[in-house]
Amino acid sequence: MMLEYALLAGAIFGLYFALAGLGLNLVFGVMRIVNLAHGDFMMLGAFSAFWLFRLIHLNPLFSALFVLALFALLGLPLYYLLVPPLLRAKDPEMLSFILFFGFSQAIEALAAIAFGPSERSLPGRLLGRGPIRILGQAFPAAWTWSGIASAAAVLAVYLYLYHSRLGYLTRAVMEDREEALATGIDVHFVSAIAFGLGLALAGIAGVFAPFMLGSATPSMGLGLTLQSFVVIVIGSLGNPLGTVLGGIIYGVSLMFMQTYFSSWASLLPYVLLILILLVRPSGLLGRQVRRA
Amino acid sequence: MLRGVRDSLVVVVPLTAAAALLPFAYSNELLLFNFIVFLVLAQGVNVIYGFTGYLPFGYVGFFGTGAYGFSLAVIHLHLFPLVALGLGAAAAVLLALLLTPLFRLSGAYFAIASFAAAFAVYEVVSNPHLDAITKGPYGISLSQIYNPQLSYGVAVVILAVTLGVTVYLKNSRFGLSLRSIRDDSLSAAMAGVNVVRARTLAWLISALIAGLIGGVFAWYVSVFYPETVFGAEFSVFAIVFALFGGVATVSGPVLGVIFLYGIYNVIGISAPQYFQLIYGLLIMGLVLFLPGGVVPLLRRWGIDVP
Amino acid sequence: MSPEKEAPLLAVEALEKRFSGFRALDGVSFEVRPGEILGLVGPNGSGKTTCINVITGLYRPDGGKVTFEGHPINGLPSHRLARLGVNRTFQVPRPFPSLTVRENVAVAAYHGRRAGGAEIETLLLSLELDAYADKPAADLNSAQQKMLDLARALATGPRLLCVDELAAGLSRTELERVALRLRAFAGSGIALLVVEHLMGFIGEVTDRVVVLNAGKIIFEGTLAEAIRDRRVVEVFLGTEHAV
Repeated sequence: MMLEYALLAGAIFGLYFALAGLGLNLVFGVMRIVNLAHGDFMMLGAFSAFWLFRLIHLNPLFSALFVLALFALLGLPLYYLLVPPLLRAKDPEMLSFILFFGFSQAIEALAAIAFGPSERSLPGRLLGRGPIRILGQAFPAAWTWSGIASAAAVLAVYLYLYHSRLGYLTRAVMEDREEALATGIDVHFVSAIAFGLGLALAGIAGVFAPFMLGSATPSMGLGLTLQSFVVIVIGSLGNPLGTVLGGIIYGVSLMFMQTYFSSWASLLPYVLLILILLVRPSGLLGRQVRRA
Repeated sequence: MLRGVRDSLVVVVPLTAAAALLPFAYSNELLLFNFIVFLVLAQGVNVIYGFTGYLPFGYVGFFGTGAYGFSLAVIHLHLFPLVALGLGAAAAVLLALLLTPLFRLSGAYFAIASFAAAFAVYEVVSNPHLDAITKGPYGISLSQIYNPQLSYGVAVVILAVTLGVTVYLKNSRFGLSLRSIRDDSLSAAMAGVNVVRARTLAWLISALIAGLIGGVFAWYVSVFYPETVFGAEFSVFAIVFALFGGVATVSGPVLGVIFLYGIYNVIGISAPQYFQLIYGLLIMGLVLFLPGGVVPLLRRWGIDVP
Repeated sequence: MSPEKEAPLLAVEALEKRFSGFRALDGVSFEVRPGEILGLVGPNGSGKTTCINVITGLYRPDGGKVTFEGHPINGLPSHRLARLGVNRTFQVPRPFPSLTVRENVAVAAYHGRRAGGAEIETLLLSLELDAYADKPAADLNSAQQKMLDLARALATGPRLLCVDELAAGLSRTELERVALRLRAFAGSGIALLVVEHLMGFIGEVTDRVVVLNAGKIIFEGTLAEAIRDRRVVEVFLGTEHAV
């Protein structure tokens, strides 16, 4: 019974982690930059959900839609402000890492100033009362609905990338930025949209963070970025769909660790990240090996 | 060589003298000690990031390992502090050796993997199951060897040696080979530089520096928790200070520490989030407008700083 | 042809290199003698640069043997090869941009120098880089960066110098100077392996050429003979590099 529970819970959390990693991977895939502030946008999403509920009793499912629109819009000017200068530099990957680290610190500081350092949580009953049974196992409704919302968001990204014109252009830029530029694609516009979408996905993942991860604090960002990074490294850097595989593998291993070796479960993301980077730096679905 | 002597006279000697003499004039010795710790850590980051281009985002892992290596040697082996210090530093170097495969990763992945490694060490050290060995999350108390004067003095020595190391790297052939690797490792190899060996050496030196100062930190404060010595802000501050001043220089990290850690002590302790906001924005500004830090700017203005 | 009698400096035998199924080098064999200039020609993607990359230790070969001065050198790391006397320039020059021009050359002189390697200042002077010695290499134009790449290689005192498309993008007069220089290196006993697209340049500097196509050698001999060879003409026909 414990095994089945761990597997199913792992899958639910896996979908959630896939959502958490998706935006980071999209930004990396299109721009080849590391958005180290990704987790801080998740944190902002979580606080948005908290305040929207506190102030106007908005259901988190609607907050997710609101956050989606707001963060996507925010992403456009941020892209034009921060990213093009990076892409012109010699080593955009490394520079982006440092720049977005600064950004992450600034966001964290502003959040701490605005919201205070205390932990905020949302009652699980907002996403339905009572446990929901799946294949004979009972799970909190909040988990189930967060998992479903994550799956829906992932599906939407898939449809966008593979069944829309802009998504097609996005994939072209991912494949080869120079080539895309040469064929006349407005690379900056496509990238800006992808950047906005990346932030929006982080925001949505953040909305469900209080349900999946327990609570929200202004300083949670860096840890979330690291966790998202683990997920996309397992799947494959720059391959958004690989994120789903990465998320589920990560979710299931986490649940297994928590079920059978709970005292060492907190080690998992770090060890997994290092091992995979060393053994298979291109991720499980990757083709291209990244080496210095 | 002449430049090395000049750099020593301009930076190493005055700074070491100030660190040694200021406690007689200024009563807040803890603050001075923390300045020394960050001067050493920022130079340690300089050694590896400035001279090889690999950003040790988890640099604190070596600091914490040094602190714990020192403390466990005192607690379990009852060693004299100075001997224990050697063991703490050795532990940090050992960790660095274990992590050498990370050099196969390019820039940002190395940074993230080293960050994860520091977390992993922290998780192991602070695990309640290892209570008997590491005292787990309950922290370390070394009241039996508490000796602020001596440990402060040792910290000053470590500072002098660390500054000496950066002067050497800036002016020596070995330092030149490291800078060539940072610029282009392929070309460096074709120039006859043993890239793997040079890089590993810089990495181990950098870890040794952090391990030593971590051990002295444990000695000086003598009571601490795992999260004290593995706190991400050690890495973050050291990196920010070094970047701000300008890496691959001797004076850059020093200027960074004096200026930014100075600001921190004025506003950061009472309102840490405002300090965090300032340095967050500062980093962004640096990357966008002043990628080399302050020292290259001073040089462009014709001020010859080491 | 007197070099024919001497023992080869470099011998490449049945060299193979694959990239995920694609055969970049498929059984390539040739020899270079001291003081000889061998041209390596062929269409884009025929394996010329891959060949140099294998010889200079950037890639490990998947098969075959590279012998230098009678010793096997395949699989040795680049810095060991540099110290043995095997060096190269890069297709796109790769100087150390943040180092000064003098420091660029100094790195090689300090770490890769063999007996007989030229002095730093002499090299800077002879490659007309002396006026920029204290400037960062990033400030040089691309022709000067090529000369710096060459200076870095020469500072190690190479016995074999692989030159990868040094002529591309140079002006007429610069080309003539480079050709003279390469001939002078050969005159001093250095063997040269020259990869080039400009056939005029190849004709001017090389003693012999090896023509590669799809990882295989299709011709070996002088350039004058090559352009009469039916297979060589076929490979080049209709391309911009046809003679």
